[in-house]
Amino acid sequence: MSKGLKGSIFDIQTFSAYDGPGVRTVVFFQGCNMKCAWCHNPESWASDPPPVFLSEKCISCSACAGLCRAREIDGVPDASICKRCMRCCDVCYAGALIRPLRKMTASELWKLLSVDKPYFDSSGGGITFSGGECMLQADFLAEIVNICLENKVHTAIDTAGHVPYEWLKMVSPDLFLYDIKASSPLRHKELTGVDGILVWENLRRLTEDGFELIVRVPCVPGANLDELPEIGARLRELGIEKIELLPYHSLGAGKSKAYGVGTLIYTVPSEEEMQQARKALFITERNYQTYETG
Amino acid sequence: MKQVKLSNEILSRITAMHETKIAENKKKLDNFGGFYNIDDHGFICFDGFTFEADYPDGYDLLFGAKCIGENLGRFFKELPVYIHQKSALAGAWAGFFQNFVKIGYRPEDHAAHLKPLHEKYGFLQNGIGGMNHLGPDMEIGFSLGLRGILKKIRRYQARNHPAGEDFYAGEAAVMEGIIAYTENHMHYAHKLASEVTDNWEKQNYTQIAEALENLLVGPPSTFREACQFLAIFQSVDRTYFGGGALGQLDELLRPFYEEDKAAGSLTDEEAIWMVASLFYNDTHYSQIGGQTPDGEKELTSDVSFLILQAAYELAIPYNLAVRVFEGSDDRLLRRALMYILEKGSGPCFSLSQGVEDGFVKQGHPRELARMRAKVGCNWVALPGIEYPLQDVTRLNMAWAFHYALDEVIAGGQPSTEKLWEHFASHLAVMVDTISEGYDWHYETVSRNTPELVLNLFCHGPIERGINSAIGGVDILNLNIDAIALATVADSFAAIELRVEKEKKLTWDEMYNTVRNNYKDSENIRLMLKNIPRFGHPESLALPWALRIRDEYVRLVADKPTKKHNLKMVPGMFSHGDVYMYGEKLPATPNGRFDGEPISHSNEPDPGFASGVVSFSPSLKATAVAEAQPGYGNSAPLHLDIDTNMVKTAGGIDALCALIHTHNKMGGTLINLNCITPEQIKAAHENPESHPDLVVRVTGYSAFFASLSQEYRQQVVDRYLS
Repeated sequence: MSKGLKGSIFDIQTFSAYDGPGVRTVVFFQGCNMKCAWCHNPESWASDPPPVFLSEKCISCSACAGLCRAREIDGVPDASICKRCMRCCDVCYAGALIRPLRKMTASELWKLLSVDKPYFDSSGGGITFSGGECMLQADFLAEIVNICLENKVHTAIDTAGHVPYEWLKMVSPDLFLYDIKASSPLRHKELTGVDGILVWENLRRLTEDGFELIVRVPCVPGANLDELPEIGARLRELGIEKIELLPYHSLGAGKSKAYGVGTLIYTVPSEEEMQQARKALFITERNYQTYETG
Repeated sequence: MKQVKLSNEILSRITAMHETKIAENKKKLDNFGGFYNIDDHGFICFDGFTFEADYPDGYDLLFGAKCIGENLGRFFKELPVYIHQKSALAGAWAGFFQNFVKIGYRPEDHAAHLKPLHEKYGFLQNGIGGMNHLGPDMEIGFSLGLRGILKKIRRYQARNHPAGEDFYAGEAAVMEGIIAYTENHMHYAHKLASEVTDNWEKQNYTQIAEALENLLVGPPSTFREACQFLAIFQSVDRTYFGGGALGQLDELLRPFYEEDKAAGSLTDEEAIWMVASLFYNDTHYSQIGGQTPDGEKELTSDVSFLILQAAYELAIPYNLAVRVFEGSDDRLLRRALMYILEKGSGPCFSLSQGVEDGFVKQGHPRELARMRAKVGCNWVALPGIEYPLQDVTRLNMAWAFHYALDEVIAGGQPSTEKLWEHFASHLAVMVDTISEGYDWHYETVSRNTPELVLNLFCHGPIERGINSAIGGVDILNLNIDAIALATVADSFAAIELRVEKEKKLTWDEMYNTVRNNYKDSENIRLMLKNIPRFGHPESLALPWALRIRDEYVRLVADKPTKKHNLKMVPGMFSHGDVYMYGEKLPATPNGRFDGEPISHSNEPDPGFASGVVSFSPSLKATAVAEAQPGYGNSAPLHLDIDTNMVKTAGGIDALCALIHTHNKMGGTLINLNCITPEQIKAAHENPESHPDLVVRVTGYSAFFASLSQEYRQQVVDRYLS
């Protein structure tokens, strides 16, 4: 039964081969309670962002001019006075001003997601809810996960785990893709803005409660490589075997200007660094082999 | 079967053929003014070769079976000989026969009565005189041999006398030319064997000569002879109006492979080299994989894998299709995908569900449907049995829309429903125009340009003494290809949304802006263009696309041609001709300017995904599957995938799932490229720096550097959408 809640979604990517088993649709939720220095989705940070301005698409038609004080000045909208009415986006047919997110009910969201059900069925895939931090919209998330369950579609939650444990338990997806970014509280805070104590505690409890999970560890040279041995030791202690490495890529840096948020630029890890990372996390060859054929 | 580890010797031979191909390609580009937008084909530019035709009295044109056959036969006798130093096979072709002679329809047989309609509706390919769009059954050649086919012609000529004299004279002359062409190469191989000093080369030329000698006295009896037979066929078939089909290649070669292997006279790597030599000779369309007619057994064998590896190792454009069906063993499919991920392109994927269900819907048994092979750019046919004429018509539905819009505005009180009525009325006229043209084709093609080469390898024409196009083969099911589905559906949807629902524009504002080619109205153009377009899950265009598809299918499939009661089959395929068909078409309400390209086949336009929904291969695949015409002829899905999306642990699994799902949803053909956007952009900016890059343009593949700027742009647009 729909509760009429609306979720804030900023992107839906179908046909993903990354985030969970099989062919997946990934739903990106708006809002995050961490500020990872390497974030590749910085547009997700704010819970109520202003319109996005893509200057290269602007045709200077002036349709948006004079609609509000935030649009009186050419160029990037003034976020400090923008009331988020999005009228400027509605008149911008050039696509230079775009809504940063879309609010929709769970049933509206399901309508969009269900188009790929044949691909889920033939691949053992499903839907992955990501972000941002999708768990910040836990009530809405629980609703859409239930709809997926009713329709026999596999669900995964990609979370950094910095939320009350009850929220994780309430959502109860088929799979948690659980991000671990650092071990020591100091480094965790330095890299993400939070100390990570709750993150590790929730991981322990999820493991104890028998939830299916894959721990995913970003591999960011210059940021967290020195943390990996300690992360590996703690994961081993928790008895976690399913671990994936997420090598850093710089896609987030390119978004900084359009979305008015800053991320740091790191280097992409070398194969040698990846090998060391695998070793530190006790990842064997069977976990990362790219592809095989008969 | 595991990938065969090739010795350095075999690798060096294949590499030598690859390098010659690159050099020949450069020569062709120089000869053709910098580009050519078709398959590589593999012809050799023989400098200085000319041919003097013997034209009939009163004409400077070759036409009719005897006249063409005698000239074509002599052409084959006079063709230069060619054997690549490292190839297992002899033979090459020198370009289309029509490049050397004037050939075609006599002026009195031109369809002058249809010309006004062809011009009004922009029919640049109307089907009349369509050639070579059927598939041969090479088993005929393999069982009879070259001289056996000639004997067959003589036998039936005598039996049917005096009927079919002109026809048999032409067919016999062609066959004699093919035999002479074979003899010339045999002598040449002997000559080379006597001249060279290198032991391997001497032995190779001797073996080539012996294979040709054997083919001159009987059917092929070894794997090498079978490949040589196919190379001879490819060379002559391609010469005459660009024929290009081999059929189910793995099954054709399997008996020879198994026998030679059992005798210890053939190794797997030698088989790969021989097939690579065949692909070096030409890139005829062929299929591997599939099912036996009863559906009890898979056709995939070791030979399927060897053929696939041969194509991969040679690394030139090739036109191989892997047949996929529900429940098929995916090892061949996965191997093909692995090669595509490594090289960027490779085989295409012919999908049984749509191809077979549609053929069954035409009234044929399922067992026959399983025998259809992908033997053309987009098309499938029963080898040697079916005359389908796919890919020779283009019905540009955007012209029907164009006239409908004018009329609905002129009539006053416009609405999308009235617009639909006018559109459907013009669409019916367009279908009738093609239908009438097919009646004309039926009456005239055999006395002008009969299928002189393919008749030899079909069941019926020689026996009956008539061309395959007029009942020489059992099944005539004439295809019509509609194009511009998305252009029209998006135009309807844009008007429905912006004019009728949102009332952002009046009908007059919309119409005047479109007819003024959006002059000084960029904002209105973008308002019309940037709607959720066909392919987007929330688009208003999908119901329009399905309604257009249904109406078109009804118009084509519900009635045969008026005069000769010929069955017509609805298809949707644009080839790469979207620029050509957009060139004279005025602006359309989907934001398209005058002269811009129309949309491909039944595919969404690039950039159809917007807003919260990003582009993905599955969205595009779903749209193409939903809008299939559904009568067994391929309306392909072009997927140009960023390698970064799939080169991970689950990448091949995801692509397998995509292909199988498209099959289950009724899709018919998938053409797949996998390279990074950065690679394709760099190659587009400087094609000459990427002479090796092969892309799948549509059902055929080509060197990217060989394509015109416009054709390259199509591929780039698909990548970046």
